[in-house]
This record gives sequence, C-alpha cells and structure tokens, in this order.
Amino acid sequence: MMKDCAEIKRLLGPWIDGELDADQAAEVQLHVQGCASCLDEKSRLERLESSLKSLLETKASEVAFDAFWAGVRQRIADEKSWHTRAVDWLRGVLSPPRLAWAVPAMVVILVGALSLDQFFPGWRWAFGPTNVASVESIDGHGFNVALLREAKTKTTVIWLFENQENDDETSVEPVSGNVAF
Amino acid sequence: METTECELISKCQKGDVAAYEDIAAKYYRRVFMVILGVVHDRDDAMDVAQETFYRAFKNIKHFKGSSNFYTWIYRIAVNLAIDLQRRKKRSSVDLKEDMDEVIVETEASGSDPFRELHDRRLGEKLLRAIDELTPDHKAVIVMRAVEGLSYKEIGRIMGCSEGTIMSRLHYARKKLQEKLGTDL
Repeated sequence: MMKDCAEIKRLLGPWIDGELDADQAAEVQLHVQGCASCLDEKSRLERLESSLKSLLETKASEVAFDAFWAGVRQRIADEKSWHTRAVDWLRGVLSPPRLAWAVPAMVVILVGALSLDQFFPGWRWAFGPTNVASVESIDGHGFNVALLREAKTKTTVIWLFENQENDDETSVEPVSGNVAF
Repeated sequence: METTECELISKCQKGDVAAYEDIAAKYYRRVFMVILGVVHDRDDAMDVAQETFYRAFKNIKHFKGSSNFYTWIYRIAVNLAIDLQRRKKRSSVDLKEDMDEVIVETEASGSDPFRELHDRRLGEKLLRAIDELTPDHKAVIVMRAVEGLSYKEIGRIMGCSEGTIMSRLHYARKKLQEKLGTDL
C-alpha cells in the first residue's frame, strides 16, 4: 500500500540520513519525485542542517589550536595528586565560615552531653550495664565507705574499711584491711 | 612515515603528551562545534572543549579501541556540555550577544547582499530556535548536522537506542522548522 504524504514526511529525515532500508528508501524516493509538497519539505530539512553546520563552522573556525591546546596542556600540568586533592577538600570543609558554625555547635553538643545526667539521671544504663564505684562519704572515725552499683542485677555492694597508716595513694596494690559486707 | 591514530593513542596511553597534541589538533574543532551547538556561548564551549580533552587524556588508558576515538571523545564532550547546559541558566541577553557576533561574521564572508540578509535572519532565528530545545535534542541534531554521524553512533555517544535518536531528531527538526517558518 502506498504511503500518504504525512507518512512520507515522517520518513524524510531518516531517508536523508540514509537510515532507511532499501525498500523504504526506494518508496520515499519515488514519492518525493512526484510530490511537490514532500520535495519542498526535503529541501527545507536539508537547508536547516546546512545552515546549522555553516553557522557552527564559522564560529569554530576562529578557534586557534595554539590557544586551545595551551588550555588543555595547562590542565594536564595542573593535575593534582590524590593527597593534594584531599588537603584541598579538607581546606574547603574547614573553611573559616564553616568553622564559625562548627565550633559553637561542638561546644553545645559537648555541654549537652555532659549535662544529660542532671536531667536524665542514670541515662547511661540505657546503653548497657555499668558498674559505678564511688566513695560516698568518709566518717570521722577512720572508716571509709565505698559503694558499687551493678545495673543488670540491681545489686548494691557496700564496703567499710579502715584507714591505713602510711597510706600511699599512688600504690597499685589492692586495698587491704578489714572489709565488712 | 605518518603515525597512525592507533599508534598515537598507544603513545598517549603511556603518557606521551606530544602524541596527544597531534590527536587534539585533529579533533578539537569538530568537538568544539558540537559543544558550541549545545552550550551556545563561545567561552563556555572553549572551557568545556578543553576540559573534554583533559579528561580524555586522563582516562585514555581506559580507551580499549572497541569504538572510534571520536565516538569516545564525543561522549565525554556531549555529557559535559549537556551537564553544563542543565546547570547553567543563561540570560537571553548573553545569547543575543553571541548570536550577533556569529551573524556579523557570516555576513562578512558572503558576497550577495540579499543572500547575506536572508542568511543573517535565518542564522538569528535558527540559534534562537535551537536554544529552546532541550540539551538532549540539541546534542542529537548538532551531531547529525555537523558530523553526519549515524543513529547508531549517536546512540552510542548518548547512551540510548537508535529508535530514541530517530525520535529525538524528528522532534528537534519539527520544532526548528516550526520556529523558522518561511525563512527556511
């Protein structure tokens, strides 16, 4: 069946570009030879592309190779090693405007983290069992008191021990003495 | 004896910049034309073209020779040009200035004043019409018009099928014809 003008016009581009198979190309050629409208369309398409090509060629003809190549060679010469690029990246990240925000932000985060115990006592237990040993008080009769709280089993151990004469605070020896439970 | 392109590429893969200069001399103008067709601005086109050749040299070790060198370098060029065009919002004033320069130069090269006037008007409208296309459509029509590349080659460069290229070309041509009207 013969194709109508609309169908042929749709195939004109691929035909000019040489992208149709032999049968289709022959059919389009035959139609164009006998159809003024499609022939005109073909000429318009050809003028469109030749005008575009001519326009870009005019512009490109001004570009001298020496100037072009100087730019390329410069880029090749300026190529930086990976560690230089890493330092550049760090400089960008740690630039003064960013640091101006980062330092106060870090201070706020640190103060917040250190103050958590005040607002949420025992919050650290949420991250697993923690053993806390502390001397709660020292009485006036030479006895010390130490406490150990164990989170998992909810056990509290209390030590009472006497002050040692010649106590050496730097000693790594375990405290010996009368320990009572 | 003239060194073949294959030998030059082999030298480039060993870091020979002088050999690469020969390759650049052969292709720079064609690459520049395609880029200019997409980005329009001459300075931008120069910058993208230089970046294209720099990146190609940097990655030439990865070029296996399974495709033509120009297909490979066009792929880099077109991707960079489309990327720039998508990022950059160019003002119509800048475009107008670039167009006028092209038109004046085209005029100076002709001899028939009526023909020159027609070409000038056509060039003006053509560039304006092209600028209204998407970067993908621009790239396709420029590669076809300037280089006469096959749909298969354009598809390889753009990373899409021949059918998509045919469809994009049809759309781009139709749009340009509509915009140019009787000037064509």
